[in-house]
Amino acid sequence: MSAPFVIAVPAKGRLQENAARFFSRAGLELIKPRGARDYRGTIAGLGGVEVTFLSASEITELLGQGMVHFGVTGEDLVREMILDADSKVILIDGLGFGHANVVVAVPQAWIDVHSMADLDDVATAFRLKHNRKLRVATKYINLTRDFFSAHGVTDYRIVASSGATEGAPAAGTAELIVDITTTGATLSANALKVIDDGVILRSQANLVAARTAHWGESERAIARLMLDRLASEARGRAFREVRARLADNHDAMLADAQKRFKVEIPFGNATSSGMVTLHCPPGEVHALASFLREQGAEAVTVADLGYVFARDNPLFTRLEAGLAG
Amino acid sequence: MTSAATRSAERASDKRAEALVASFERAGYTRVAPAILQPAEPFLDLSGEDIRKRMFLTSDPHGRELCLRPDLTIPVSRDYLASPGAGKAHGFCYLGHVFRHRQNEPSEFLQAGIESLGRPDIAAADAEMLALGLDTTAHYGLSAPAIHIGDVGLFAALIAALDLAPAWKRRLIKDFNHKSSLAQDLERLTISASHARPEYQGVLAALAGSDPKGAHALVTDLLSIAGISAVGGRSVGEIADRFLEQAALGAQTSLPRETRALIERFLAIAGDPDEAAAELRTIAKDGSLKLNAALDLFESRTGFLAARGVDVRRIKFSTAFGRGLDYYTGFVFELHDPQGRAEGQLVAGGRYDGLLTRLGSTKPIPAVGFAAWIERLAARGGAA
Repeated sequence: MSAPFVIAVPAKGRLQENAARFFSRAGLELIKPRGARDYRGTIAGLGGVEVTFLSASEITELLGQGMVHFGVTGEDLVREMILDADSKVILIDGLGFGHANVVVAVPQAWIDVHSMADLDDVATAFRLKHNRKLRVATKYINLTRDFFSAHGVTDYRIVASSGATEGAPAAGTAELIVDITTTGATLSANALKVIDDGVILRSQANLVAARTAHWGESERAIARLMLDRLASEARGRAFREVRARLADNHDAMLADAQKRFKVEIPFGNATSSGMVTLHCPPGEVHALASFLREQGAEAVTVADLGYVFARDNPLFTRLEAGLAG
Repeated sequence: MTSAATRSAERASDKRAEALVASFERAGYTRVAPAILQPAEPFLDLSGEDIRKRMFLTSDPHGRELCLRPDLTIPVSRDYLASPGAGKAHGFCYLGHVFRHRQNEPSEFLQAGIESLGRPDIAAADAEMLALGLDTTAHYGLSAPAIHIGDVGLFAALIAALDLAPAWKRRLIKDFNHKSSLAQDLERLTISASHARPEYQGVLAALAGSDPKGAHALVTDLLSIAGISAVGGRSVGEIADRFLEQAALGAQTSLPRETRALIERFLAIAGDPDEAAAELRTIAKDGSLKLNAALDLFESRTGFLAARGVDVRRIKFSTAFGRGLDYYTGFVFELHDPQGRAEGQLVAGGRYDGLLTRLGSTKPIPAVGFAAWIERLAARGGAA
């Protein structure tokens, strides 16, 4: 047996719960054979895979170095911690949890500042008046630098902050901050406001692959299998199964339904008896059901889908394209 | 190359660099050797984040941020300010390693250079720096490098002479230092008043025509009624000032057409210093702009250069030429390999009259200097 396929998963908190639930839904049960405090694990029924439980920033670091094959971490950390991230890792898919925005926030008292252009002007005026630069407290040093540079802001300096960044302006250690926010409540509580065009990144937890990890035949096979399950689960969530017996001349009508309701027809057009199975996005289900009956269907049933295994594997395709590129 | 051969080549190159600094000493500059490990603060505050990301930072057990010196200008200036001779005219020279992350070249590299601090005869000191810079390339066998010069002071004088809102002046001066081609940038420049919130437009319009003192008091009071006190280093007064400045700007959200044309005409001037000076005088006359002091300095500098035996017709001057660092305040120059074989400039420098004040000097101290990239010179220059 060669070196195992390693997947790094958050070890603590809500990220861990969400990640475990995410994998479990896709039939990839993470198990810790030596109990909950164990930082090494496996996936039930999937040999050759090692799960390592770490903090999100450690996971990001290992991804950047190619020390793990897959990892679950926030896009904010990927963009901040990995220099030239797209050459080192592949963001395979957003996982739908861990949402947070990285934003530029200034004191609410700055009634004259709404845009990055305002901030640019204020920064220059501040330097001329005080003979020092505006200080930005943040742990997102690289994101801040790139974003400020893209907006032409140069008269500032970064003060590295490792925790409670939102308190820096009140504490007098910085004039403004760049930080992560989900609801904005913490910012408001600290008398800060987000600049209108100051959203640097809309981040969420991602399944990330390391380009520089060892990707031999066996690693690709494991990745294909995992991504197949993850994709089938994702596709299962993205659709409802709609079944109906249609009246005659249904081909044109089905083409119409495809266009109007973004419906997919996984098993081909209706059988000789008029039975057809459709996959429909959840939001279109009721409209589709009305439409089918108007077109002569006797009854329409709708059911949740557990998994949809299709011939194509879009997530694996993305991985392969990324590894080749 | 064997390692013994490498070492002997290094020794030869060291000798040549030592001889260069010895020539600086003979020209009256005191050799200094500032510490390699420097407090990071002055560099972070003065050089900007684009330098910071190239710096090698560390900290001591007390949490103080330190760095490997990314240049020698700030270390030499700080040592000078801490010395009993601070404020008096004094010239320094150095040869030492500096540390900056670079993509295609080693991040540890040798620089030799000069800092001339406290000299009141601006034009003569400027000319001397360029002359010594030319001696430096000649020392490495490159007697006719491409000479590019600029003068940040001319642009500052132009902007000061224009009838523009303070916000516009700040913006243009800042962008001059940071844009490679301000001329193109002018096209899309708009002032931030255009981004003012619609809900404020009415208030801003109402305040626009009112008595400035009263308006200022009103805004300050409103902020304090709202329970908003100063946070983050900007006082309520400063906030009110800029809020009202936006009101005063009113609808003037883009640069007036004729002003833009004038700035573009100004920035298009390039050529040898004598031709350029004549054109600048014409622009000043056409726009009835008071640029005399800056132009006199410019012409006087050219005179000193000629007196030092520099063939001024070989100098490529451009009004748009800047070195991208906001601490330069006047004359700037770069010397390049005329065949373009070197990665970047071989010698570069300029005047930074504001730097010593920003490092804590209570009175302004004029300063000018340059640095030479030793490895580039050794690799690209001809035989000794």
